[in-house]
Amino acid sequence: METINKISWEIRNDIGIITLDNPPENYLVQPEFVPIETLRKWTSYDYLKGIMICGAGKHFSGGGKLENLFTMIRNKENINESMDKGKAVLDHLENLDIPVVAAIQGICFGGGLEVALASHIRVCSENALFAFPEINQGIIPGLGGTMRSIARMGFPRAMKLIMSGDMINAEDAQEMNLVDFIVSKHKVFDFSFSFLQRLTRDRPLPVINAVMKALKNARSLSIEEAMKEETRMFCELALAEAKRRNASSETQK
Amino acid sequence: MKIPVYSTIRLLFEEGIGLLELNSPPSNAMNLEFFREFASVIEFIRSNEEFRALIISGHGRHYSSGADVPVLLNEILEKAGTDNKGRLKNVPEFLSNNYASFLMLENLSIPVISAIRGVCLGSALELALFSHFRLCGEEAVFGLPETSFNLVPGLGGIYKLCSISGQALALERVLKGSTFTAEDALKYRIVDKVVPKKLLISTADDFARHIMQDFRVEKRGLYVKKYLS
Repeated sequence: METINKISWEIRNDIGIITLDNPPENYLVQPEFVPIETLRKWTSYDYLKGIMICGAGKHFSGGGKLENLFTMIRNKENINESMDKGKAVLDHLENLDIPVVAAIQGICFGGGLEVALASHIRVCSENALFAFPEINQGIIPGLGGTMRSIARMGFPRAMKLIMSGDMINAEDAQEMNLVDFIVSKHKVFDFSFSFLQRLTRDRPLPVINAVMKALKNARSLSIEEAMKEETRMFCELALAEAKRRNASSETQK
Repeated sequence: MKIPVYSTIRLLFEEGIGLLELNSPPSNAMNLEFFREFASVIEFIRSNEEFRALIISGHGRHYSSGADVPVLLNEILEKAGTDNKGRLKNVPEFLSNNYASFLMLENLSIPVISAIRGVCLGSALELALFSHFRLCGEEAVFGLPETSFNLVPGLGGIYKLCSISGQALALERVLKGSTFTAEDALKYRIVDKVVPKKLLISTADDFARHIMQDFRVEKRGLYVKKYLS
C-alpha cells in the first residue's frame, strides 16, 4: 500500500483501489488531490482491469476544505493552475480505458462528488448523502462537476442540485440518475469490488479497453465520428479473433 | 409504386405504412446479403414519399439473432487492409456501409418503429436502437453478447445504449454480454412499451397512424407519453 497526500493505493487481484484516506470526513487536501504523475504511475499497470475509489471509514469525502482554498488565495498561489491540475486528475480517471467505480457511503460533497462523477459507475449505501454546497460560499463546483452533472442527470436536475446547495439522500440521487446502484450500509465496498470483478473477469483487456474507448467516444464525439471509431475497433478485434479461430482449427487438423 | 423483392427482407406497404421484416428463417440472422439489401431498402423508402411511417420487425417468431459471426469474421479477414505486421489499416468498405445505412435509417424523416418479438441480439439490437421507437412482446429477449466471443458491438450499439440508458448500464450490459428480459429493457428505457406478443404489430400500426401526420423526431418523448404510456 502506498500513500500520498492522504490518498492510498493498493492492488487487490487485478483491481486497483484508491482510498480517500483522511478520516473522518476524508477532506481533499488540494484540488490536485493526488499528484497526476503518481496517479498515472498507479494506473499504468498493464494487468489492471478496473479501479475502485472509496473513502476510509464512514464517509466517501466531504470535498475540499474551503479554508485551504482561501489560504491559497491569500498567499497569492496560482489557484487557476491548481484547479487545472485537479481537473487533469479527474479527466485522467474518466478517460482511463478500464472501468472506474466509485463506492460511496456517508457524505459525498463538493469535490468528493466531483470525484464520484468522474467515475464510470457510482454505487452508494442507503445512508449516503450528496450535495454541492459550494453555492453557499458564493462559489461553484470547479473541477468539471457542473458539466459532468449535466451529462449524467440532464440540465434541470443538475441546475437544481448546484444552485440550491441542498443535500439529497441515496434514493433521490438514484431517482436523479446521480447514482447507479444503492446497496445496504455495509455492502458498498464488497458489492463494488465484486461487481468490477464480475464485469471484467472473463474479458481480455483489449475487449475491455475497446468498450471503454467507445464509451469515451460516446461522451465526446458526434455519432458519425463515434460510429466510425466503434466499427474500427470492432474490426481490429474481429481480425484478431478470425486469426485465432483459424489457428486453432489448423491445430485441430 | 412497385415494391422491390428482396431475398433476406420482406417489404410490405399499406396505407402509407411500410412493414420491413427481416426474413432469413429460422432466426433472421443478419448475413452479408442482408446488410446489402437493407441499405437498398432504406434508400428506396427514403426516396419514396408515399412512405409515411416504417415498422421494422422479424418474420416469424424472432426479430433477429444478429450478425452471422463466423461469416462476418471470414469476410473481414479477407477484405480488411492490413500493414506488413498484420495490423488493421483499412476498415473494409462493407462494414462502413453497414453503419452508414443505420445512420440513414435514423435520419429518415418518417417515424421508424421497431416491433420486437423473440430474440433481438447483437447487431439486431443495434438496428433496433437506431429506430425512433421500440415496442416489444412480453417474451422478447435482448442482449449484446459480442464481448463473450472477444468482440465488441460495432454498429453504434455502445454509443446508442450509452445515450439511451446511461454510461453505467451500457458498460454493464456490454461487458457482461448476458441476455435480459422485456421487463428489464423497459426499465433501461431500451423499449418504450411492452405488449402481449399478439398485439405487437397492431399496437405499432396504431401508434404509427397517430404520429405519422406531423412527425418530428424532437417530439419523441411527447409521443411516447401520449400514446405509449
